[in-house]
Amino acid sequence: MPSRPVINKDPIMNGHCNGKISNTVEDYNRNEKKCFGDLAVEMKKSAVICEKEFSRKKTEDESRLPAIEAAYSIILRELGEDTDRQGLLRTPLRAAKAMQFLTKGYHENVNDILNDAIFDEDHDEMVIVKDIDMFSLCEHHLVPFFGKVHIGYLPNQKVVGLSKLARIVEIFSRRLQVQERLTKQIATAVSEALQPKGVAVVIEAAHMCMVMRGVQKINTRTVTSTMLGLCREDPKTREEFLSLTMR
Amino acid sequence: MSPDACVRTRSENPSPKLTPQVPSLCAMERALPTQQKDAEATGELNGLFDAMMRKPGGRPGQAPPAETPAESIPQQTSSSSSCSVTESWREDRTRSVEDNEMSLPSLATAYTSILRGLGEDPQRQGLLKTPRRAATAMQFFTKGYQEKIIDVMNDAIFDEDHDEMVIVKDIDMFSMCEHHLVPIFGRVHIGYLPDKRVLGLSKLARIVEIYSRRLQVQERLTKQIAVAITEALKPAGVGVVIEATHMCMVMRGVQKMNSKTVTSTMLGVFREDPKTRDEFLTLIRG
Repeated sequence: MPSRPVINKDPIMNGHCNGKISNTVEDYNRNEKKCFGDLAVEMKKSAVICEKEFSRKKTEDESRLPAIEAAYSIILRELGEDTDRQGLLRTPLRAAKAMQFLTKGYHENVNDILNDAIFDEDHDEMVIVKDIDMFSLCEHHLVPFFGKVHIGYLPNQKVVGLSKLARIVEIFSRRLQVQERLTKQIATAVSEALQPKGVAVVIEAAHMCMVMRGVQKINTRTVTSTMLGLCREDPKTREEFLSLTMR
Repeated sequence: MSPDACVRTRSENPSPKLTPQVPSLCAMERALPTQQKDAEATGELNGLFDAMMRKPGGRPGQAPPAETPAESIPQQTSSSSSCSVTESWREDRTRSVEDNEMSLPSLATAYTSILRGLGEDPQRQGLLKTPRRAATAMQFFTKGYQEKIIDVMNDAIFDEDHDEMVIVKDIDMFSMCEHHLVPIFGRVHIGYLPDKRVLGLSKLARIVEIYSRRLQVQERLTKQIAVAITEALKPAGVGVVIEATHMCMVMRGVQKMNSKTVTSTMLGVFREDPKTRDEFLTLIRG
């Protein structure tokens, strides 16, 4: 007997888009008076609405760009370079945009990225996301430092989408930072969002301010850690985390 | 403006240390202003090669142009195309330690406005002295503009009857991308086939330092190092390979963590003879 596939038309069951997009398509299918152009307009409308939520931060960035650009022009001149040569003509603009990108964490909010991705899950073993590449700017010299972040937490009935841990790292690292503060901010953010039994964050990074200038030690790495809750109180939990992350 | 500045600086800084073994250098140095004028006219010279600082008002500390000995300079000794590349190693300093001290306040002010433009509070404790620190750091990252190849190399060229390849590899290099003002770092491998003259080994690393501590493009950096060695030693051949990571590609933009850029310049026998090049490339890989 041939069996027909059952098409689930319940919008709530589709976890990805909660069925909103498919509603538009279904409307289009049902309403024969609408043409394809209308469908396209509907899709574009929702895109526009989304964009408006972020546009405030973009316009802030755009309004500040000329001042940063002018500052970079002055810097190039004061360093003894010829600002009219071909390679440097648009450098102030590029450097200003690069700097804004490297500090975009100021615009971002942990709640915005976390809200939808906390799930109830009956799991009480450690969850670790390790080797998250991290790039930040030293707030003392405005020179990059980069490395890896390892995050572990002991869930208390709530787990978080795994990429959200990496996004939390992005938010806090794309700022003018001090490695100690960065570690603590990540741990606190995870702790406040999930109320887990314990959180552990370890960052191992190379600081260009030490490698490229100053003491000029190429192979040094700085390691900082923050342990909260059970990861701090129970040595065995801490040991489990450290042995799983530090090869 | 640039030719005058060039001549003035050289008359202030004559090169007494030029040894008799390198007479061709004297001739080429004397020919410099003429070529400079040609290049200015055609606009061909890369700003980094002649390293001239364009300051319309001039700085208070600068001396007025001296009597130019330009009229007594002999005719050009070589074609302008080769000289525009080879002039690089004889270029004059555009910056001095005094210049650094004088620019520091305006650099610090520029950094303060950058901090404010990014939405930070320049008065908070961690950022209070940051403009000054960032300014000195940036001056350090561009200290190649303060140094001259000729000062670094003059005493360390030795006559040695050696005609096998000399390689110094894995020289750590740190530079700044001239497009985004973000670090580039990697390794430089240099090899040359001496022609009766060898160079102190650390001088190769010092040449790398001088050219890398500038606002650079990796292709140009490779070429400048190769040309500097060629001009100084007149070897049978020079090979330079640079393998570097560009933070502008890793931290922003396309964000590819593991990408590396490799550039090479082969001159003389390294370019013409494939076996020599092979030997060099095999030895730097191992």
